[in-house]
Amino acid sequence: MSSKKPGAVSYLYEVPGPRGRRRILIGSIVSALALAGLVGAALWQFGVNGQLDADRWLPFLDVAIWQYLGVGLLGTLQAAAIVAVLGAALGVLLALGRVSPLRWLSWVCGAYIEIARTIPVLLLIYLMLFGLPQLGINFPVLWKLVIPLTVANSAVFAEIFRAGILSLPRGQSEAAFSLGMRGGQVMRLVVLPQAVRNVTPSLVTQLVSLMKDTSLGYIVAFTELLYRGQVLSSFNHLLIQTYLVVTIIYLVVNGSLSGLASRLQTRPGRRRAAMTLPLPTPGGSSTKKASNV
Amino acid sequence: MEMITENAGLLLDAIGTTLLMVVVAGVGSLILGVLVTVARVSPIPILRRAAFLYVQFFINVPLLALLLLAVFALPDAGLILPLLPTAIIVLTVYESAYVAEAVRSGVNTVAVGQIEASRALGLTLWQTLRLVVIPQSLRAVVQPIGNVMIALAMNTALAAVVGVVELTSRVNKINLVYAQPIEIFTGAGIVYMLIALAIGLAAGRIERKVAILR
Amino acid sequence: MFSSRLFRRRAAALGAGVAVTALALTACSTGSSDNVPGGDDTSDASSVEEMLANAPVADESLFTPGSTMEKIRERGTLIVAEALDAPLLSQQDPTNPENVSGFDAYLAQLLSVYIFGEPSVEIVPPASETREALLQNGTVDVVFNTYTITEERAEQVSFAGPYFNSGLAVAVPADNDEINGIDDLGGKTVIVGANTPAVTAVPEAQPTAELIDFATDPQAVQALLQGRGDAYVQDYVLLASNAANNDELKVVGQPFTEEPYGIGLQHGDEEFKKFINDWLLEIQESGEWGQAWELSLGTVVESEIPTPPSIGSVPGS
Repeated sequence: MSSKKPGAVSYLYEVPGPRGRRRILIGSIVSALALAGLVGAALWQFGVNGQLDADRWLPFLDVAIWQYLGVGLLGTLQAAAIVAVLGAALGVLLALGRVSPLRWLSWVCGAYIEIARTIPVLLLIYLMLFGLPQLGINFPVLWKLVIPLTVANSAVFAEIFRAGILSLPRGQSEAAFSLGMRGGQVMRLVVLPQAVRNVTPSLVTQLVSLMKDTSLGYIVAFTELLYRGQVLSSFNHLLIQTYLVVTIIYLVVNGSLSGLASRLQTRPGRRRAAMTLPLPTPGGSSTKKASNV
Repeated sequence: MEMITENAGLLLDAIGTTLLMVVVAGVGSLILGVLVTVARVSPIPILRRAAFLYVQFFINVPLLALLLLAVFALPDAGLILPLLPTAIIVLTVYESAYVAEAVRSGVNTVAVGQIEASRALGLTLWQTLRLVVIPQSLRAVVQPIGNVMIALAMNTALAAVVGVVELTSRVNKINLVYAQPIEIFTGAGIVYMLIALAIGLAAGRIERKVAILR
Repeated sequence: MFSSRLFRRRAAALGAGVAVTALALTACSTGSSDNVPGGDDTSDASSVEEMLANAPVADESLFTPGSTMEKIRERGTLIVAEALDAPLLSQQDPTNPENVSGFDAYLAQLLSVYIFGEPSVEIVPPASETREALLQNGTVDVVFNTYTITEERAEQVSFAGPYFNSGLAVAVPADNDEINGIDDLGGKTVIVGANTPAVTAVPEAQPTAELIDFATDPQAVQALLQGRGDAYVQDYVLLASNAANNDELKVVGQPFTEEPYGIGLQHGDEEFKKFINDWLLEIQESGEWGQAWELSLGTVVESEIPTPPSIGSVPGS
């Protein structure tokens, strides 16, 4: 994701000459001043309101607090891992159903995907929390978070896998069929492995998104990072500092994952050569021209 | 049924609040997202860097944590607004990062020849962006932006957690009185689906209208 | 519902969380909490230990075969629905997560001593909406969660107690001289804890007041001090504790409702209810009830140890 990567962007302007460089320098100084001013104003406002006082931050030097939040982070990772595995598995099945030649199966999977994609997860959580106990069903708290998230994320995973399957050139499956493979074998041995490889960056991006979604565990009192932040803030009365610390932890963890995703995206990889063949989408060919220069 | 008729006014109010959030934050995030993209492709390194960090920050931090921070921390930085505007601003800056990602991928779809041609015609950088690159980028990413808008509509539900009485918050309160969770939450789910459907249909129409056939 | 529920609650409120945080509650030292400003844990860990060490233990003859208390004793731990983020009532110490302090927490520990001879409590943080479900499907044995006894609830669960009488009161920023109680709240913006009794009690007393609700007590206090509302209505004990910790806030007027708190049990379990009521009487007489109050709520309320409510005195109990 670094802005230095080639692409259309680098064609927007020539290598600047002396005048251009002077303008860029002026622009840099002006924007640096503006940004510094913005940050400075924010810090100043925090400062005059006492939010930067040492005694509001020193408690966070205590190892015990980091252990406490660390257990919350483990809960976040645990929930995210379960949702990722279940959601991806369900997503593959849904994607296969969606591209299946059986009209009814394709329709059912399509309907599920559309519905699950367009209902807020929060609403699904409420439905689980209040609706199921009425029917006499009760799950452990982890599952009250994991099930709604899996329902929502499986639909997104299905769309990602479907895009991966459709992105493969027809020749791949045609060649496999001509070798005498049956439909299931073609999918399992030829199409899916390549499709998954092609969509790996999107999968990692979705992983970041579902890590963020686990913060809804706050609502079901599941021991995850945001909920632990909540208990901590009711104990130390330092809401702003506590939530800032929690935000930074999310930023570091998810930021590393996002970094991984972008590295996967920009590493060309020999196998991705297949992707540059003409795509079935209109306008796709020009896309490739720009991004593969 | 009677719980719907008895609470029709409150429910319509709440749906209005949800729609207001979707529309205002939607338009706001489109504008802001395009501006961030412009900063990201600008020749000024510090702006590119700042825009990159901006996008990374909002893509990696949960919306719920941002809402809690904004509602309780911003006032201490001297910025206090009522709850609804606060929620709308948070949604706007959050979704604008996703809009910026989508538009940037659109920028990459603009053929290099187009840009070279505009430079050959003597257009300045700003003119190239405004007249050639951005319009084509936006056309190429109508569907992805539609998806961001659908996500935005879903995300407005989180405002319920910081005290904004929108649809999810309202139906939750109604459920506390009537204790008919399945009917109530399913009904609300259908409203959200209709909103998403409307956005999806609109995106489809716009795409057909503006699609660039090559 | 003091705070407990109130307090986290939006979240929980909404939800029900059954967290499976198993906490062996042995009263431990408070560890490094001394550098946490505003920590509510003013209780002295050793006096909690002492209280638990000297607390009454049930006679062997009370554990009739097949009874709920016998099953709990077999299992070896008492599973309690109680909050983790309700200062003075049931607050977890993040610097020492084993340590949960507060009035509700101490009573739950005392009950476990009564059953096992030593404290052994597992905590499931509830949401007020699902406490009934937690009891009905057997996730927890008892609820200590500022659970107001009402006749409607008594149709779904049984209540032992009441064990404490509280009431809602009004807090305002310290520089506000216009609001002196619930009577002055007409037309004002009133902050309440989500899913607390205040949500219904304030409109009953002041139909023109506009409500905003926040999930937790710290958030509500923050919102009041930031001017998002004119007043904050909450359990008076909690408000007193907030005012004691923060001089920008003051409590005005007297409590305007009565909130008798009961111990929630599975519906119709008369044997267990009698067991708990007998235990309540016993700790009231032997002084642990008063000690638990002194070590928690009593640290912020300037008054004598209150007289415990008489058992079964409320409709529904």
